[in-house]
Amino acid sequence: MQCGPRRMSVMTDVHRRFLQLLMTHGVLEEQDVKRLQKHCYKVHDCSAPVEKLEDFINNINSVLESLYIEVKKGVTEDDGRPIYALVNLATTSVSKMASDFAENELDLFRKALELIVDSESGFASSTNILNLVDQLKGKKMKKKEAEQVLQKFVQSKWLTEKDGEFTLHSRAILEMEQHIYETYRDSVKTCSICHSLLIQGQSCETCGIRMHLPCVAKYFRSSSEPRCPHCSDYWPHEIPEVFNPDKERESSTSKPNKTSSRSRQH
Amino acid sequence: PVESHYPPSCLQSLTIAIMSPPSKRRRYSLEQGRHPPPSEHQSHEEDAQVLMAEEEEVSASSTSSSCFPLSSRSSSPSCSLLPSTPESVSATGSSFTSQSTQISYSPSQAIATSVSGNSDEGSISQGEESQSILQASPDYEAMLREALDVKVADVVQFLLLKYQKKELTTRAEILTIIREYQDHFSVIFRETAECMQLVFGIDMKEVDPTSHSYVLVNTLGLTYDGMLSGDYGVPKTGILVLILSIIFLEGNCVPEENIWKALSTMGVYAGRKHSVYGDLQKLITNDWVQEGYLEYWAVPNSHPTRYEFRWGPRAHAETNKMKVLEFWAKICDSDPRAYPFWYEEALRDLAERAQSSIATETTTAMY
Repeated sequence: MQCGPRRMSVMTDVHRRFLQLLMTHGVLEEQDVKRLQKHCYKVHDCSAPVEKLEDFINNINSVLESLYIEVKKGVTEDDGRPIYALVNLATTSVSKMASDFAENELDLFRKALELIVDSESGFASSTNILNLVDQLKGKKMKKKEAEQVLQKFVQSKWLTEKDGEFTLHSRAILEMEQHIYETYRDSVKTCSICHSLLIQGQSCETCGIRMHLPCVAKYFRSSSEPRCPHCSDYWPHEIPEVFNPDKERESSTSKPNKTSSRSRQH
Repeated sequence: PVESHYPPSCLQSLTIAIMSPPSKRRRYSLEQGRHPPPSEHQSHEEDAQVLMAEEEEVSASSTSSSCFPLSSRSSSPSCSLLPSTPESVSATGSSFTSQSTQISYSPSQAIATSVSGNSDEGSISQGEESQSILQASPDYEAMLREALDVKVADVVQFLLLKYQKKELTTRAEILTIIREYQDHFSVIFRETAECMQLVFGIDMKEVDPTSHSYVLVNTLGLTYDGMLSGDYGVPKTGILVLILSIIFLEGNCVPEENIWKALSTMGVYAGRKHSVYGDLQKLITNDWVQEGYLEYWAVPNSHPTRYEFRWGPRAHAETNKMKVLEFWAKICDSDPRAYPFWYEEALRDLAERAQSSIATETTTAMY
């Protein structure tokens, strides 16, 4: 079993177990991914030093490339935590959601997704989603049933709920980014800092550009007078704090006040 | 362990790696055999093979006519060869012949493989072989190869979903996915199976030859690491193996009371939180049953209802009686052979598994 120097991509039992466990969890935060990696080394009695996570994952991805699968890294939109998931890159009919849900349930998700992408806040209210129940394809669904389906989406980490409103779970953003860009080309929003898909974020009231909350946090990290990078107007919103994994581990009980109003959404 | 029938697919992927036009998929290489077997395993394997040979001589000779070799552990080093020229394929093929114990692999089939340039190991029907010669023009081959690559990727993704949901899959379902390439089912199936094994460590085992249904099992041993139930406490796999051991040692079926009695010696009681392990009752009677490691059966006509534990399907798939006996022997600071009654049962279990994996390989080769 090779755990030593990297030549070309080599799949060992360490990598295989890692993939299996990552798949089973769906989406994992970076610190859990690191734990998982160490666990896989330990289980296979590998005495080699644990490879740097980035290299470890790049190795795996070069093997997965021809299968149109990837271990993708993303960042949660609300508090900037790095996360990883195993995603399909090919938009074929075989998708994780399609196999778990019925036709009318998938259509409910599509309707919710459209409302979320179109919304200003990135959230769609339960009421607005449920009002579309009559327009669903497939078997007729009552509102009561639709409420339960929405909960199913939350449990399987496709949506998250906050105060009766729904937005995309970070896993869904990782998995569906390409699909969303293609389907909602006109209404989709992007972040002016990282240029990737934006569902939740802050926007400049003067010129309208948008930024992810973690992107805002990083960009305005040490400025006393935050100004819009595009139009230089004062940035009107509260600047969130940058996610710091070390700080998280130390202060497990107290949260920084600026982010205390936001709940952990995954 | 015998059920990780790794080496035959080694040869296939080597063949594919050499013969097909540059394809993105073939970037993975094989490491030097999987787990270098410790010497105790070697002798168990031999014991099992002897048992198998004695009891199943007839079926062994009939399977030798199939062209699908089941190599013994000693041939796994051949997989570490990465020949860069086509000529080496037949060299590898013949090294298989010399090392495989009970099944013969004829050199002509190895040559047929290198000539036809597809991944069939000689079990190609006349029709397929002539078809592949007719359609040997480079453009067609390249296009077909590309299309098949995409289909294999589709099937792999489908199977990964099935694996996560712990569902069986059927040949019919796979055929639905490959659609217009159904004629190439055997190639796609074989490459998919290899991919699943080499990249993800997941095996496709045929459960029912009549309905062609398959179960996807992990070849790496118990995957449970306590993270699934959101439980970030002390890994409880040791307790699971302990329970599996008790079940095996008490005749494969044990009343619930016996499990709790055994655990009480470790200070673990039902309904009471242990300082290290927490509350195990839910884990044992519910979580591990759901995961498929244990089966929890109500004893019929018992008042009040009593329950029994057996191994669940996932335990059978991920480990075996010999491994569990070794675990137990280690705890008791002794050797599996010190328990002759259970040692024999564990050997029989290994032999049965070897037998069924030959059957799987044979039927797979016939597609």
